[in-house]
Amino acid sequence: MFIDFFYKLKDVGIPVKPTAFLTLHRALEMGLVQSLGEFYTASRSILVKSERYFDLFDQVFAHHFEGAEMPDGEAFELDEMAKVMLEALLQDPKTLAEAMGIDENKLRRMSPEELIDYFKERLKEQTGRHDGGGRWIGTGGTSPVGHSGYHPGGMRVGGVSRNRSALKVAMDRRYRDYALSGPLRQSMMGEALKRLRHLVPSGPRDQVNIDETLYQTMKNGGEIEIVFERSLKDRLNVILAIDNGGWSMEPYIPVVQTLFNHARSQFKVLETYFFHNTIYDYLWGDAARYKKPKRIDELAAADPETRLILVGDASMAPYELMATDGSIHIEERSGQPSIERLKFLARTFRHAVWLNPVPQHMWGYTRTIAAIAQIFAMFELSIDGLEKAIAHLMAR
Amino acid sequence: MTENSSVTRFTGAARYVLDPELADIVNISMALEMPLLLKGEPGTGKTMLAHAIAESLQMPLIVLNVKSSMKLVETLYQYDTLTRLNDSRFGDSKRDVSNIEEYIRMGKIGQAFTADQRTVLLIDEIDKADTDFQDDMLDVLDQMAFDIIEIDKTIRARHRPVFIITSNAKKDLSDPFLGRCNFHHIAFPDPKMMRKIVNVHFPQIDRQLAENTIAAFYRLRELEAVEKRPATRELLNWIRALNADPDFRPKDLAKGDVPYLGVLFKKSQDYQIAANAVRRRRLF
Repeated sequence: MFIDFFYKLKDVGIPVKPTAFLTLHRALEMGLVQSLGEFYTASRSILVKSERYFDLFDQVFAHHFEGAEMPDGEAFELDEMAKVMLEALLQDPKTLAEAMGIDENKLRRMSPEELIDYFKERLKEQTGRHDGGGRWIGTGGTSPVGHSGYHPGGMRVGGVSRNRSALKVAMDRRYRDYALSGPLRQSMMGEALKRLRHLVPSGPRDQVNIDETLYQTMKNGGEIEIVFERSLKDRLNVILAIDNGGWSMEPYIPVVQTLFNHARSQFKVLETYFFHNTIYDYLWGDAARYKKPKRIDELAAADPETRLILVGDASMAPYELMATDGSIHIEERSGQPSIERLKFLARTFRHAVWLNPVPQHMWGYTRTIAAIAQIFAMFELSIDGLEKAIAHLMAR
Repeated sequence: MTENSSVTRFTGAARYVLDPELADIVNISMALEMPLLLKGEPGTGKTMLAHAIAESLQMPLIVLNVKSSMKLVETLYQYDTLTRLNDSRFGDSKRDVSNIEEYIRMGKIGQAFTADQRTVLLIDEIDKADTDFQDDMLDVLDQMAFDIIEIDKTIRARHRPVFIITSNAKKDLSDPFLGRCNFHHIAFPDPKMMRKIVNVHFPQIDRQLAENTIAAFYRLRELEAVEKRPATRELLNWIRALNADPDFRPKDLAKGDVPYLGVLFKKSQDYQIAANAVRRRRLF
């Protein structure tokens, strides 16, 4: 019974388990389910274990039992793309009209509904997904419309500003677990803070835990066994350095800053600095990178147990990292390539991590990311990545 | 248990407005003898549900508030070595020092297992503990029994408790854990539902006051960039505060005066945002 229904749920991507299906049958057998409405609540609470899938479940249920239209993944993609194109049109009608090769005035005369339909028709001309191809909508290609492309007059459709590394469009998102692996957002603050809580102090084990001592002594049959634990006074120094240059980092700066400010009480000292793309002679205490310079060499005097957390996309032209005087700012002439500076920091602070908002599977495509990942342990700026980074920072 | 559960059906309680869908889910979980995992925004009544079930089915409620440092064994039993040491030194109690069993104290889960009647066991905010805790608990849930290693004795559940587990986390719990639970996500109540909830808590409430406060409340909830949005609990406290103020008239709310913002917004940044919005009359 309902085997079709079960497989349909599985097909649309809801993780349903056979055991749960059997449980549902147990419920049916016990006569707990009398009506379709009760079947709905019973099957949902037994089969679906996360609210993320509730919407999808509703659609499949409606399709299976009431003959509603199946959620069509492809239609969804088209809708999304068309919507983005409409937005692009509202911002800059001329470029889009040119890119699509039609008259701007013709586009203007259409109503929004007509426009969406028109876009969808054009989008349907290509079937499936084209990345890096020459067809006319896709990602990373050479066609005029799409995003992350190289066409000089091209424009971006969909995707977040993430420069060359952005491949994430509507098409990718259906099976992605946003809650954990997507980039950090304001709404995940609480969850991320919980991860930061593991940045716990670890002083010497020099305090007697009386309860545990008594317990162990009793277990030992009265032979005294003293249990020591770490004192809680020794708190951490944290230096946070954020890449705030360039629009690719724009969405992440406030999130990272608030995150660490919220956690401030856990640290003895939290210093926040800024840099652009990579580090040369100075870090800057002010976000404009102008008023409060801090010489990198001065950091050598800092406590080597300080935790250094760098946040940046690590994506730049290779010469910025490798060449002597590689900085794109003319006044920054250090005589040392930035990569040597980064190595100096990594030598100075043995507990250091680099958090990168670029998704991990994209790292291989940017040379400077690979180079920097060899110097610093690099983690994705996501809840999971944060958790791993904290574990790395706290390792002895 | 089938006969039993058809008799003891959960239909709501005096101070709890029950969503019929949720009632079905509770009843099915009880009949299937599966724990019910509840998720949802803070203040949607996850914890209150367990209280309501206990009240309406007249079962004792045992609440286990999970803490981050908690180990599973603490929730099962505790071996009170200190008292035993004291007794062995001074011997002024009636307990038999050589009998370790007299120094075993049941934890919350242990209490639920050994109770004389069926109980409701609320495991509150399980996401606070680490995943080991959750995985260890699986065994106990599966077996409905645990061992006390000190006296080599197995405690079996005399009556299978009604398990209600709540979680605030956005992160999902582990797969095997979810596999053993039924799941429900309590959505934030819509204004109509909220009206009912307010009426249950304040049967005497002035109609205009209720309407104006609920309207203002939902507008305040929509403010952007607020970290902790006010929930049902805050609304109820707010109404209580407004009721207690002799100078307050419900008309003021419609005019844009929103007193006692501090009852609704508890983080200083959130409070600032709300206060600014109210001052600029952006809301109204």
